[in-house]
Order: sequence, then C-alpha cells, then structure tokens
Amino acid sequence: MRTFTPLRKIATLAATGVFALSLAACGASETPADGSSSAGAKLTVGFVAVGPEGGWRTANEENIKEAFKNADIELKYAPATNGDQNSQITAFTSFVDEDVDAIVLSATEATGWETSLKKAQEAEIPVVLLDRGIEPNDDSLYTSLIAPDNVGISAAAATWANARFPDGGNYVVLEGPPGLSVVNDRNKGWDATVESSLKKVGSQSANWSTEEAKSVFETMLKSKSNDIQLVFAQNDEMGLGAVQAVEEAGLTPGKDVKIITIDGTKNALTALSEGKLSFVAEYNPLFGEDAVAVVKKAVAGESVEKNIVVKSVTFDSPEAAKTALPERKY
Amino acid sequence: MSATPTGFGPRLKSLMSQQYAWGIIALLLLLAVDVIKDPSYLAISVNPTTGNLSGNLIDILRQSAPVLMIAVGMTLVVATRGIDLSVGSVMAVSGAVSMQFLASAPNTPGSAVAALAMGLGLSLVLGLLNGVLVAWVGLQPFITTLVMMLAGRGIARVITGGQNTSANNDTFRWIANGTVFGFPVVFLIAALVVAAVAVLVRRTALGTFIEALGINPKASRLIGIRPGGLLVSVYALSALLAGLGGVFATASVMTVEVSRTGLNSELDAILAVVVGGTSLAGGKFSLTGTVVGALLITTLDKTIVFLSIPSAATPAFKAIVIVAVCLLQSERARGWIRGRRAGRGQAQRPTPPSPAPSPTSPDAAAEAHAAAAGTKATAGDAGTDNDQKAVNA
Repeated sequence: MRTFTPLRKIATLAATGVFALSLAACGASETPADGSSSAGAKLTVGFVAVGPEGGWRTANEENIKEAFKNADIELKYAPATNGDQNSQITAFTSFVDEDVDAIVLSATEATGWETSLKKAQEAEIPVVLLDRGIEPNDDSLYTSLIAPDNVGISAAAATWANARFPDGGNYVVLEGPPGLSVVNDRNKGWDATVESSLKKVGSQSANWSTEEAKSVFETMLKSKSNDIQLVFAQNDEMGLGAVQAVEEAGLTPGKDVKIITIDGTKNALTALSEGKLSFVAEYNPLFGEDAVAVVKKAVAGESVEKNIVVKSVTFDSPEAAKTALPERKY
Repeated sequence: MSATPTGFGPRLKSLMSQQYAWGIIALLLLLAVDVIKDPSYLAISVNPTTGNLSGNLIDILRQSAPVLMIAVGMTLVVATRGIDLSVGSVMAVSGAVSMQFLASAPNTPGSAVAALAMGLGLSLVLGLLNGVLVAWVGLQPFITTLVMMLAGRGIARVITGGQNTSANNDTFRWIANGTVFGFPVVFLIAALVVAAVAVLVRRTALGTFIEALGINPKASRLIGIRPGGLLVSVYALSALLAGLGGVFATASVMTVEVSRTGLNSELDAILAVVVGGTSLAGGKFSLTGTVVGALLITTLDKTIVFLSIPSAATPAFKAIVIVAVCLLQSERARGWIRGRRAGRGQAQRPTPPSPAPSPTSPDAAAEAHAAAAGTKATAGDAGTDNDQKAVNA
C-alpha cells in the first residue's frame, strides 16, 4: 500500500531497532549474558523471579539477591513480564540451556511446570522453589521448597478471628488472583480453622491491588448494607484498600469493620499501629540465606530437606506493631 | 439542525437507530438485574457521617471516570484507523511520576498541582512520541503503541524504583475522592473533559477531518487535509487523557501500583469504543456512544461484585455480556436472527453494503469527491446532532 523511499525505510528500521533494543533492555535488565560457570569454582544460579508486585515481593527478591551476593555466587535475575508465566518458562528454559549450576524459581502460576522441571532434571540442574509451590505437587520434580507456611499463617489469622468474634459475625474474603497456590493455601488454612458462627457473606478477587480492593469492598459493603464486621484480606495492599473503602463509607476501620491482612509490610504495620488494621500476619520474606544454604548443598550433591518452612510471626495490637516497626526492612 | 426530531416518540426512535442503543439497553438490563437482587440498588442517600451522597450509582460514576478518559481518547485514535494500546501504561507512568513527587513533597495544594502537571506533562511527551512515530515515521499504530505499552510500564518502574509508592496529599486525594455538594468531583472533572473534547471535535471541523482521514486517508489528503499534524494531536490527546485517568486511578488510593495501575485498561477502553458503535476500521465515531460504553463496562464490573459472582468466573461473565451487545449491534447477526424467525422459505437477501466507502478502491480522485460529500453529509446528520445535544445538555 504505502511506498517507502529507501531513506525513509532505513529511518523506520532504525527507529524500530532502537525501540526493540530499549525494550529488551527494560524487559530483562539483568538476565543472561552469555558465558556460564567457567571461571573457577564460582557458582552460577539462575533466578526465575516474579518481579515487581508489591512491597513484600520487593523485600523478598532484594533479600535473595543480597544473600547470593554475600555468598559470592553469581545470581542471574530474570523477572517475569507483568506476572506472565510464559516469560518465566522462557527464562527457565534458557537457564537450562545455559547449563547453570542451579535454578531458583518463584512461579507466578502453580500449574504447568512439569515439562520445564523435567528438562532441568535431565540436565541434572537442581531446582529450588522459593515461596511458591507447584501443582500438582510432585516433589520428585524439584530439589526443595522453601516457603513460609501459608496454610499455617491463615489458620493463625482465623484463630485470632474466632477469639475476637465469640458471638459470630459476617465476614468477606479479598483474594488474590484465582489459581495461585498462595491463594488456595491461604483459603485452605482460613476455611479449615474459622468457626462456623462467623458467616462468609462474600469472597472476591481484588488481584492483590489496593485500588481494586477499594472498589470491590465498597460494593460489597453496599450490597450487604454495611453489615460486615470482618475482612480477611490475603495481602497487605488489598487490606489497605479495604481500609479506605471503610473510611469512605463513613465507618471506622478497626471498630466497625476489623481488617486482617497477611504479609506484614511496613505500610501495613503503620496502619496497624494507627488502629486501622486489626491483625497482621507476617509472611516472612527474608529467607535468602536459607536459599543459599540449600543451593550450596544441592550443588555439592548432599541431601536436602524437601520442605523448609520459614518462620513467621503475627501482630495483633498497635503496640506490637510499634515495637516491630523500627526494625522492619520492607 | 432542522432535521432534529422533536417530541418523545421520534426522539426515542432516532435514539434507537444509533449503534449504541444496544449499549444503553444492556446498561439498563444490568441495572435491572441489580435492582432485582436488591430493590434499593438505585437509591441515593446522604451519608450521615460524611454528608456526601452515597449509593451504588454514585460509585459507578466515580469508578467510570478513568475509563471515560482513556475511552474518549481511544475513540479519536480509532476513528483515524489507529489504535492506542499504550493508554494503560501511560496511566501507570503518570501515576508513578505524581506519586513519586508527592512522596517527598509537602502536603500543600501547590505540590498537588505540580504533581498533576508532571504526570500530564510526561504523558503528553509519550503521546507525542507515539504520534510522531505513527504520522511521520510511518510505523503501524498497533506496533508503535504496543512498544509504548511495554516501555511505559518499564518507565513507571524506573520512576518508582520498582516500588509501589504511596504518598499523602489532601488536595491530590480530593481529585479522586472529594465531593462538590456531595457529588463526586472526579466524575464532574471527567464529564467536563468529555464535554470539552466533544466541543473541540464537533463544534469545529476537527471531528470531520478525523472522520475523513479514517474513511479514506488518500482522498482526505487530496481534499487538503494534512494527516501528520492531525495524527500527532490525536495520539497526544489520547495520552494526555490517559495521564489524567492515571491520576484519577492513583489518587483514589494515593498509591501507584506499578504493575497493576492501568493494567488491561486499554482493553476496557477499546471495548467501550466498540460498544459505543465506533468501528475499529476507522471513520465515523460517536463520543456519546463511547460514554455509554464506558458506563456499561464500569456497571458491569460493579455488578459482578454486587451479585457475588465467583471471582474465577468473572472474566467469562464479562465476556458474555460484551459479546451479546456486539452481536446485537451487528446488522448481519440481527438479520440472521430475524431470518431464522421469519422461516426458511424466504430467499436470502444480500447483506447491505457497508456504509464506509471501500478503502481499496483504485479511483482515488472519485473517492475524494465522495469523501468530501460524505464529510458534508456527516456534519449535518442525526448522529452528530445527538452528540452536540449531549454537549449542550
């Protein structure tokens, strides 16, 4: 259709090229340069990561990067593009092709990893899952899973709710995106522990997002004529969104509506210390050193534990939050 | 204006002949479903604690503001046969730059204005870049804005250092959460902006130029419309509006979520445009239709939550409603349904030719006349009149 003069064509190509380059640069800034584990005994580990998602994730990935750096292991960081599993599988495959010494993986989606994991197994590359498990949970496919115990954490939250609402009440759940193992586990622990006197009047996904949670909870409040006493938000960001929806509705968070969140980021603890949140269960992101230890053992061929649970604590009062705040790293 | 229908009956008839009529019907149906679930759904009351108007309709209006912004920009881009996939990312960029600035700025109206200016300014730059690449370098709009969509999110991340930055500023917060006489200010701003754009394109020849460009670029060039400047301004306006939408979205919670703010918003905008009756093939556009589309999508989102549809099923539910609206809009599908009903005895009628002249016609000179005549006709026809009335009202 359109005729190009040669010059114009070149300009177009050049512009496309520049963009492609800048695109590549921003998509995977720290991903595989070529060259593998040749220089001496220094290990190379590929990190198939989730990338920017929220305060918790940033703290977690920074901590992992830091720990590997301190252990003098080269960590190649490959974050997913906008949480897309495809980009993770691509990064995983290229790490296998590069023959890195080990791969650590935080999967954005729990399912669909069998083929990739088998490939790594054939190449005899140990794979350590961080934070997120896979489904179906076939533990012959990976070396070890290091994660805080989602089921236990949400069960702890439910125990607190049971004690706080002996006469029962209405509650809603703000979930993460459907299908994630985290979401399933947090639902599992909560549902198994919460008393039947507490009535679930709604459960919606707000995709981990403050903005969406505000909008979703605002509508939930309206649809139940403000008759909701408790919110179980599966991450801090959504809980903070719910706080704003409660305030907009003219109610008092912490008094009329009590809000439970999981993660324990600085923002959430600040809100807890101001009484806006009522209960924050920490989901400890700082397990970089555990990861390093496991990777070292696995590469050396020693046996490692299949399932390593990272210890987490809970905060149930403004005072507890105030004590913990100064040392909060994330 | 002499052809403007008067009286309720004819006016309703002319409304029903619009493409977006099915959007209005779907909107009313959704509201009806909500009312069945809870008869007080439409009630608007004054909140005793805050003194503001409160109700589901108010929530819908407030929520629709960002979608309205990007959808209006998208309408003009689509009318030129283009598409702007970068609006969601531009929202994130604009939100990121304003939040990052406010996080370290004093809590004064002055810094809110500065943050707003920075957000909109950077968005405008991105839009100009889009426009220049499309208009003068000649890249495909799809590719150009796709690249900007990916790059934009990267830029947003760089601005905040990968963090979800929160800030405190009462004035900035007021933009999204404040009220004027109890009415959400964010919707008032959005309505004013839509009205301003409508005046700009319908009270001047600009809208006609855009349509001519979309109907037949070659012919429009022959009648003396320069595509370059027009395209650049359309993409710049789209990004500017997206920047404003980003401000609305982030100011609502005073947090920018670099990987979430505006995510998939471009799809919502495209849906709003299509539901509003503007063809993705370019040409004639309807801003009123786009407003209907944006309201429909927001209402749909809110209804899903209100009806407590399980979160796993929400995308499917949304898709079914949109597909139903699009099917009803399609003359061919309607004809097919009618034909079925009338029985198979009748001979199949040939489908009527599409109203837009075929862009592949070799005789450009003849088309130039057609386009010139067409643009004159467009300026006076009922569709544009309706748009103008919406502005006057």
